[in-house]
Amino acid sequence: MKRFVALLAAGLAAWGAHAQDTIKIGVITDRVGVSKPYSEPSTEGLIFGAGEINKRGGVLGKKIELLVEDDQSRPDISAALARKLIDQGAVFILSMSLTPATQQQQTVTMESKTPQMTPMNSGDTLTTQLPNPYFWQTGPLGSIQIATLLAHARSKNLKRVALISDNSDLGQLLARFFRGGLEKSGIQVVSEEVVPRGATTAEPQMQKIRAANPDALFMAGVLTAENVLILRAYRQFGLKFPIHSSYNLSVPVYMSVGKGLVDGVTFVDAYDPDKAEVKEFVAAYKKETGKEPFNLHGYGYDGIMMVAEAIKKAGTTDKEKIREAMQALTYKGVMGAKGMEYHFPEGKRAGFDPNGMVVRVYEGDKQGRVIHTGQK
Amino acid sequence: MQDFLELAVGAAASGCVYGLLALAYLLMIRPTGIINFAVGEWAMVASFGGFLLLSRYEWPYPLGMAAILAFMLVLGWATERITVRPLVEKGAPLLAPILALLGMLVVFREAISVSFPPDPHPVPFPFGLGRLEWGPFGGSYQSFFIIATTLLVFIGVWLFFERTVAGKSFEAVALHRRAAALMGINLSRVTALSFAAGAGIAGLAGLLVSPNISAHYLMGIPLAIQGFTALVIGGVGRVEGALLGGLLLAFAEQMTVRYAPVPSGFAQGVPLLLLMVFLLLRPTGLLRARA
Repeated sequence: MKRFVALLAAGLAAWGAHAQDTIKIGVITDRVGVSKPYSEPSTEGLIFGAGEINKRGGVLGKKIELLVEDDQSRPDISAALARKLIDQGAVFILSMSLTPATQQQQTVTMESKTPQMTPMNSGDTLTTQLPNPYFWQTGPLGSIQIATLLAHARSKNLKRVALISDNSDLGQLLARFFRGGLEKSGIQVVSEEVVPRGATTAEPQMQKIRAANPDALFMAGVLTAENVLILRAYRQFGLKFPIHSSYNLSVPVYMSVGKGLVDGVTFVDAYDPDKAEVKEFVAAYKKETGKEPFNLHGYGYDGIMMVAEAIKKAGTTDKEKIREAMQALTYKGVMGAKGMEYHFPEGKRAGFDPNGMVVRVYEGDKQGRVIHTGQK
Repeated sequence: MQDFLELAVGAAASGCVYGLLALAYLLMIRPTGIINFAVGEWAMVASFGGFLLLSRYEWPYPLGMAAILAFMLVLGWATERITVRPLVEKGAPLLAPILALLGMLVVFREAISVSFPPDPHPVPFPFGLGRLEWGPFGGSYQSFFIIATTLLVFIGVWLFFERTVAGKSFEAVALHRRAAALMGINLSRVTALSFAAGAGIAGLAGLLVSPNISAHYLMGIPLAIQGFTALVIGGVGRVEGALLGGLLLAFAEQMTVRYAPVPSGFAQGVPLLLLMVFLLLRPTGLLRARA
């Protein structure tokens, strides 16, 4: 309910700003669909960031006005919403929904030459399938995640591993990256299992994995409830091989729903709580909203900050000038390992530094320290 | 063999949950002919009740469970009064209340979706996380708790239908609504009670399964589909068919994942395949209603 009131207030504030001369930024998020657990906190971080920018006087002397739309993670309505936002005068679109929805929006932004960025999607193919010079991705790619996890795993001398995922689009995509990365490193995948969405147990899958006797288990799934089932079966069977997980376990909800299940699990993250920028962000966010932010808030926050920075560098709201400024941008934000900068190498539009991710470990039920950084 | 017996306990527990959901459908379909797909959402509502009372406010488990089930009975009754009865009284075709209930499904889900954060919420286990070894069988405390509770419910419902006058009146309405009405059976009371009981049973299924799968706003649809598949397999004619359908479905699902030489992803197709085979070859399910 509080959230609803806050959204209403944000909406009214945006309405108030409408009357003035503003810079309109379109935001396509998911408020009811499968991506909501990710989209909502990221978008809250984004809205907080826009507020901070406006408090400091806005960009080019104008306030930022967010036009927020909900696509329910549905690609079929996502593209139509992108068109609506462009018609309403958005000079930049931030995609905070599911990877396929973001992909679909690109057909519109490419044709209308409107800058678009996703600060949170991790699908590797978003910047490679379409030659869309108006699109950027600053979330860490799936391939960077696996490379970082593998770099950490290499020190453990693994030979045979198991891989488990869920049947969501993203879970399957990540599983593919994980398998490719593992096989390239000469590590044999001896068992590969899928826990479907809505399953009531992961015990049969875990029995198969136990029978394959792997050195470690890699978790590529992104559905929290199904991942908890996997961890529960692992504890239930008293298994001892280590678990290395995708970034999904970096979401703090595991500290409550995975109570008693997560100790010792390592996971890849793009967030280092010891980093100065993170401490500053957390303090400011808490002061403003009274709530503790986490890594997902940082994605949205960095996203809007980079967009504002690009518009400032462009010195105008001309979309072509913004595109040039965005492509040339380097930015140090909340996300990434200490000292990481987002930048877009020549010809590339994925801006998260390949060495910017970290591996952390659960200590008890708490997300603990960084134990590895980058791909080396 | 050890693996098989271990899996049998887990599969039986899943099957019991599916069976309870199938029973919730059945209790409403028998006297009214209405398929209510909102049973999954009812299970979700009860799971969130579990999160609120048992996790957040830390009520003792039996008290929390009783409060939630009482609330579910009222919710089922209210759903019937608000959604179904006005349509039936106006003589609307059978499809109308089914569609209205689909609308209620969305209402329940969105009400939860805007009231709680989107992440899964923990619901506690009544007996903790431990593991019980019982002869050759081994499984979590929760698995054994689910199986025992479900058996009690099915025995209770079976006795109600077979041994009580009230139960017979339900059966009479199921056999012939008009004739039952002419015999003095209060149709609207039977309908209201069947919805209340349906919600209660669906809520119980939600409470039993949510410590494992956590309470989250998208949990309803898969449960509704699993329950419906179990119902189609077991048949709508007899109470024990619901349990049989649930158990068969769960065993087919989990044994395929464990033993079939197909990639794990394909095993998800098994319930769907079963549903299609039964709809095509034996639409009345395994157990037929007694004449």
